[in-house]
Amino acid sequence: MNGLQIKNVTKTYKEGNSSITALNHASMDVKPGEFVAIVGPSGSGKSTLLSIVGALLKPTSGTVNINDKEVTNLSSKALSKFRLQEIGFILQSSNLIPYLSVVDQLILVKKMTGKVTKEDQEKAKKLLTELGLGDKLKKYPNELSGGERQRVAIARSLMNDSNVILADEPTASLDSKRAHEVVKLIADEVKKRNKAAIMVTHDERMLAYCDKVYKMEDGTLTLQK
Amino acid sequence: MFLALKELKHAKLRYTLMSIIIVLIAWLVFILSGLGNGLSTLSAAAVKNLDADYVVYEDGAKATFSKSLISNSLVDDVKKNKDVKDATPFGASMAAISHGKKDEEKTDIAVLGINPGEFIEPKVIEGKQLDPDVKNGVLANDTLKDKGYKIGDEVQVDSSTIKLKIIGFVEGETYNHLPVLFSNVDQWRDYAFAAPGSNNGIKDVVNAIVVQAPDLDPAQLDKSINGIETVTKSAAINGMPGYMEENGTILMMLAFLIVISAFVIAVFFYVITIQKTQQFGVMKAIGASSGFITKAIVSQVFVLSVIGILIGVALTYLTALIFPENMPFDLDGKLVVLYGIALLVISLLSSLISVRQIAKIDPLTALGRVE
Repeated sequence: MNGLQIKNVTKTYKEGNSSITALNHASMDVKPGEFVAIVGPSGSGKSTLLSIVGALLKPTSGTVNINDKEVTNLSSKALSKFRLQEIGFILQSSNLIPYLSVVDQLILVKKMTGKVTKEDQEKAKKLLTELGLGDKLKKYPNELSGGERQRVAIARSLMNDSNVILADEPTASLDSKRAHEVVKLIADEVKKRNKAAIMVTHDERMLAYCDKVYKMEDGTLTLQK
Repeated sequence: MFLALKELKHAKLRYTLMSIIIVLIAWLVFILSGLGNGLSTLSAAAVKNLDADYVVYEDGAKATFSKSLISNSLVDDVKKNKDVKDATPFGASMAAISHGKKDEEKTDIAVLGINPGEFIEPKVIEGKQLDPDVKNGVLANDTLKDKGYKIGDEVQVDSSTIKLKIIGFVEGETYNHLPVLFSNVDQWRDYAFAAPGSNNGIKDVVNAIVVQAPDLDPAQLDKSINGIETVTKSAAINGMPGYMEENGTILMMLAFLIVISAFVIAVFFYVITIQKTQQFGVMKAIGASSGFITKAIVSQVFVLSVIGILIGVALTYLTALIFPENMPFDLDGKLVVLYGIALLVISLLSSLISVRQIAKIDPLTALGRVE
């Protein structure tokens, strides 16, 4: 089965003698080509869920399957390789490498896997051009606007041809016009490239672009739309 | 290398300052080792240059020429040992010389007595070798030229009536920091033991016997001949008055310098790495292994150190050019390579502290908050 399946994922933290349940038996399915949003107040556990799906954090119980591979079983060494090959992360705007030019941000992903070929160079340029950054290839992050930076992050998440895209508050530092542009772009790319995508946000205006909306409250996940 | 070089290009000021620190440390290490090497050469070059393996002293002399008096006749006894290829007498005294003019400044020298034509006689760069028929002929170290001495000069030895005649010049021969005059051993004895009784009643007295014998068992030689002690040439060098102390001081300074520089470099790289924790978290989140990031950091340290050390070497040789003539600076290529590699290894090792930090970085920091 393709796409992403989350089954009964629970995460508890120990704090002194008591334990805190950050996630309580969360389950969801995301098919290829589907764009899912998780909304909820801060501290509700939505980032914890994203971290577990993104192979950054191990759940206390439950399973996450990505393309029939069970993420929760992987060793910590295999995890970084898994993230590199199977997951495209779109992080908050500050998360580009400051000393790399726009095109090098994408090349870096390929560098992590080994040699960079001519095709990779061409692919990076093509992706950036498609996302409207064709004239900014040699610019550095500090020379870009917030929206442009986020478009670079989107291009970076597509560079490794992963099947899953995870976006963590991609509109956090953008004005509403830019925010709409960025989320629409993510939605379009997800459809066009047939990815399974999850976006964590607390910006209710962005939900129109999503196929499904889940609400997270005190660690409990409920389907809203 | 990809990340390392891109970042070096981007943050030029930061990394220029960083490599200036390495340049300064390398410069200091090379200058100090050059001076130390020069000083120890000055102190014992004539003994270091002896083409020999062992030196035989009077028993109890503790490998110091000035404390040792033995008879020349022992040379034949030493030669009887089957492991000894050759042996020859050696004597050393301090003196002052002048041209004998009024109000002239005298020059301190060391007179070394040897037998003409023996294996320890250095090759002249100018003039003639020692001659048994010219008893007062001497070979002078070429630094004496700067004091106005030349071939054919008859020089007056201070506090004696002896006149020595310079018949040749040799190169790089110093003893106790002083330029050397090599003289016939008989002539040397006339000067060194002019006072009655100063030879302790030993016939044909010399200070030591220099031995060529690669396979010698010194303990066995000491047993076969009465009243001698045999030591290796390097022990003989260490036995020169002040030699060990001088070298010890320089080595101590170098050791402290290297330890301190290791810390300084480590701290700088550590601070730079800590500043980049967020970036490394992002890289880890998008799939970089710790190994990938480690390679980036170590190759960065490698590039900075190599550049820094090379500039340090260049500066050292430039500084050596403007040192005054009589400054004992002697830096050989082997030493430069050795210390250069040592510094490189130290800065790479010190970057390992930063590498440890990378392994600990949690990719979760990339999400901006940990719930």
